[in-house]
Amino acid sequence: MMKEAVLDKLKKIVGNENVLTTPEVLKAYSYDGTTSWQHEPEVVVFPTTTEQVSDILKLANAEKIPVTPRGGGTNVSGGSVPWLGGIVLVTTKMNQIVKIDKENLSATVEAGVVLQDLTMKLAKDGLFFPPDPQSFLGATMGGIIAENAGGPACVKYGVTKQYILGIEAVLPSGDIINLGGRTLKNVVGYDLLHILISSEGTLGVITKAELKLRPMPPARKTIMAVYADIAVAGENVYRVLENGVIPNKIELLDNWVINRIEEMMPMGLPKDADAVLLFECDGILETVDKEVEKIAEIAKKYGATDVRIAKDQAEADKYWMARKAGFAAVFGKAPTVLSEDVTVPRGNIPALIKKVKEIAKKHNVESCCLGHAGDGNLHPSVLTDKKNEELYSRAIKAIDEIIESAVELGGVLSGEHGIGLEKQKFFNKVTNPAVVDLMKGIKALFDPNNIMNPGKIWD
Amino acid sequence: MEDLKELKKIEKFADQCMKCGFCSFFCPVYQEEKVETAVARGKNYLVRQMIQGDQKFTPEMADIIGKCLLCKRCAANCPAKTQIDRVVVGARAQLVKEKGLGFVKNFAFRKVMANRKAFGRYVKLAKTFQFMMPKTEGKIRHLPDFLKGLGQGRNIPEIADKFLRDRVKRVNKPQSGPAKMKVGFFSGCAMDFVYPELGLKIIDVLTKHGCEVIVPEEQSCCGAAIYFSGDFETGRMLAEENIKAFKDVDYIVTGCGTCSSTLKDYQKYLTDTEDQQKRYEAFEKKIKDSTEFLIDILKINPSDFKLKKEFEGKTATWHDPCHLIRYQNIKEQPRAILKALKGLKYVEMPNADLCCGMGGSFSVYHYDLTKKIAAKKMDGIKATGADIVVTACPGCMINLIDNVLQNKMPQKVHHFLELVE
Ligand SMILES: Cc1cc2nc3c(=O)[nH]c(=O)nc-3n(C[C@H](O)[C@H](O)[C@H](O)COP(=O)(O)OP(=O)(O)OC[C@H]3O[C@@H](n4cnc5c(N)ncnc54)[C@H](O)[C@@H]3O)c2cc1C
Ligand code: SF4
Ligand code: SF4
Ligand code: SF4
Repeated sequence: MMKEAVLDKLKKIVGNENVLTTPEVLKAYSYDGTTSWQHEPEVVVFPTTTEQVSDILKLANAEKIPVTPRGGGTNVSGGSVPWLGGIVLVTTKMNQIVKIDKENLSATVEAGVVLQDLTMKLAKDGLFFPPDPQSFLGATMGGIIAENAGGPACVKYGVTKQYILGIEAVLPSGDIINLGGRTLKNVVGYDLLHILISSEGTLGVITKAELKLRPMPPARKTIMAVYADIAVAGENVYRVLENGVIPNKIELLDNWVINRIEEMMPMGLPKDADAVLLFECDGILETVDKEVEKIAEIAKKYGATDVRIAKDQAEADKYWMARKAGFAAVFGKAPTVLSEDVTVPRGNIPALIKKVKEIAKKHNVESCCLGHAGDGNLHPSVLTDKKNEELYSRAIKAIDEIIESAVELGGVLSGEHGIGLEKQKFFNKVTNPAVVDLMKGIKALFDPNNIMNPGKIWD
Repeated sequence: MEDLKELKKIEKFADQCMKCGFCSFFCPVYQEEKVETAVARGKNYLVRQMIQGDQKFTPEMADIIGKCLLCKRCAANCPAKTQIDRVVVGARAQLVKEKGLGFVKNFAFRKVMANRKAFGRYVKLAKTFQFMMPKTEGKIRHLPDFLKGLGQGRNIPEIADKFLRDRVKRVNKPQSGPAKMKVGFFSGCAMDFVYPELGLKIIDVLTKHGCEVIVPEEQSCCGAAIYFSGDFETGRMLAEENIKAFKDVDYIVTGCGTCSSTLKDYQKYLTDTEDQQKRYEAFEKKIKDSTEFLIDILKINPSDFKLKKEFEGKTATWHDPCHLIRYQNIKEQPRAILKALKGLKYVEMPNADLCCGMGGSFSVYHYDLTKKIAAKKMDGIKATGADIVVTACPGCMINLIDNVLQNKMPQKVHHFLELVE
């Protein structure tokens, strides 16, 4: 239990209504988007200003109380689970879009702004923020920056770190710092900005960010290509790219996923296809038309059995709806789903898919693949049931081997979800000890008392 | 072992949640409170904890499951198709089983509302005190919590001088020709006590289109506020009464979106036995909301409706009641009529499907929250520049009127049937 005196001080900082300690609230802040990790905090606080964040961290630092920053709590790596208890610092009430600067294609936002709210606001000005984690309805800008998130559009646009010009953050000492700036170019000393980006809440609390925006492309078109062999689909991904077209999305659904979607909401997907790829091109209409033609041509040349160009937005929406439903289809199908976000160099996608199938067969578990094939980021998933010990342990083995084979194929442990708690055991295995030491050294410099999101990444 | 019967029934719905957090974007309550316990994900989690025995029925828990409009916006957008309305209502039912209804609700539901005659007397009594309240042009309020709702500074309804039940005939023959079908009219409290003219209007429209309209005296309250609060026992009693009252008709039509969905959903929430399930499902098939009945059953061409003179040249916008759009999937029918009405200009409002904040008794217990949610609705209405806001649920009407007045907006609120000849 947290000391009354500490709670009183917290209440002085943020007001009574922003300090919650009932068992029900503590339970509701014990989880994130993962299935396996839960731990209750001792108190949940909702600051509304940077100064309040600073005061909370000063207090926590003096009392050596763990602080876990939390935005939407949508991460799937255990990152916002308060593993060692203490304070959960929630940014959802710091949700002002401070400024949209059309002239400089930038925006200033508070950490708790939800991506979709920002997207809707920007659309009114004909602008958009390209990184598009598929959790955009719940994820906050702070969480997105802390995880360096990315989604389907990364094939063309890249990930979050390419769109952050500057941030305001609070260090565990309570010092408020500004990193980066508002300019596109910036070479003033070490690039500390990018250490904070993808720090998973272990170095400080991000309170504000200066974002780089883009004008909204006037046209977009969608293509669905159908394959009798998933490996051919995987190959098609890099064939398209090497032939000079960069669509903004290339998404993959395998046969299993297609059939679950059709069960859930029949929309005429090819049920006997081994896989489909969804492409989206955006830009100026004339260019988009040419690109779409080109993709259709390449896809056919390299083995697609059918290529459908969506004739209108309604048809396109239907396909993307299917992609979105794919996720639910997987998770709705088993009590527990272990879903990975391993990423391999694009050329190795077919090899990875083949590996996943072999491994699943070997351990006799049901598996499926969907994901952002365009950037080599796949979500191989294994269906299981946590309550069935024997089945669960087989699934764990399968997932472990899938991760290992991705690394063997030149890939990384995580393309977008981060290490958090979920991937610690692999992190230590595959990361060079000198690199781990360097990271630990940086952590100690930022956070000598180890109060910021302790227990994560390497612990 | 505690008996967790009601919770067990909804376990599978809560279990479907995969904690993605998408619901947070759609939940009007979360959007104001920004706290995890307000959103479907949190509620599902806590209810699961209760089922596992890791969470007790504390007052805080009751408050958490109470703070839900049952607007179903989260559920409609949930990728895993979690049904939070069932989870919340089931949890409330368990609460009622364990702790009993609170005094106010107990009094209102069991003693007053469940007894239609007594309810009438109480409403009449309330009417005699009406002179003490600010007089407003708008009428109405959802009635179950009527007595308690007084005195919070809101614009409350004016009770009709003469209730619908005292003005209506039991059997209303078609205005010309033989009867196409026999239709029961379910008045609901709103039309009975506050909007009798609207009730008469619906009967007029139906008889004009060849229906024989029966208005059984034995009909009772639909039970929305009662069983959504978890009082399944009284809810079932009302269900049985209504089923009995309407046993001889082809369809049952109502002009209240809440009533129509409530009657349809007896089969979803209230059943315990297979026999009930069968009978409630059969009953559901007969229920039609007024908009749905005119377009889907009578198959009236939208352009056959004539606009009333007084609305000529006006601009109208449509507010989707949660109970129409998400509980009954009625979205296009009213729009088709409004768009086809010659002399009326239709504009769609931003966020037309956003809950107005009423949520039945929710607004009584959380009036401040209701006002904040309604403020967003008002922004949508303002953006249209419309002269009138049209809807088809008296509950929404009360709340819209209250908020339009509070915001000193020029818009008038109407039931869509008030617009047509
Ligand atoms: C359905 C679904 C789809 C997803 N799709 C994608 C995807 O396509 N791409 C992708 O990259 N990710 C995806 N994710 C993962 C997740 O949504 C992202 O990691 C997201 O960026 C998390 O944002 P959040 O606000 O929910 O952060 P949280 O979950 O609250 O926190 C994430 C991490 O960031 C830290 N943190 C949060 N706010 C701050 C802050 N202000 N300062 C410092 N640290 C902070 C936390 O401590 C935690 O370690 C998906 C998740 C789900 C459930
Ligand atoms: S959207 Fe559905 S699955 Fe996702 S957290 Fe909410 S209730 Fe759960
Ligand atoms: S039903 Fe409405 S109020 Fe209740 S949790 Fe869902 S969105 Fe929120
Ligand atoms: S739901 Fe319908 S019948 Fe029930 S109280 Fe409201 S208006 Fe009356």
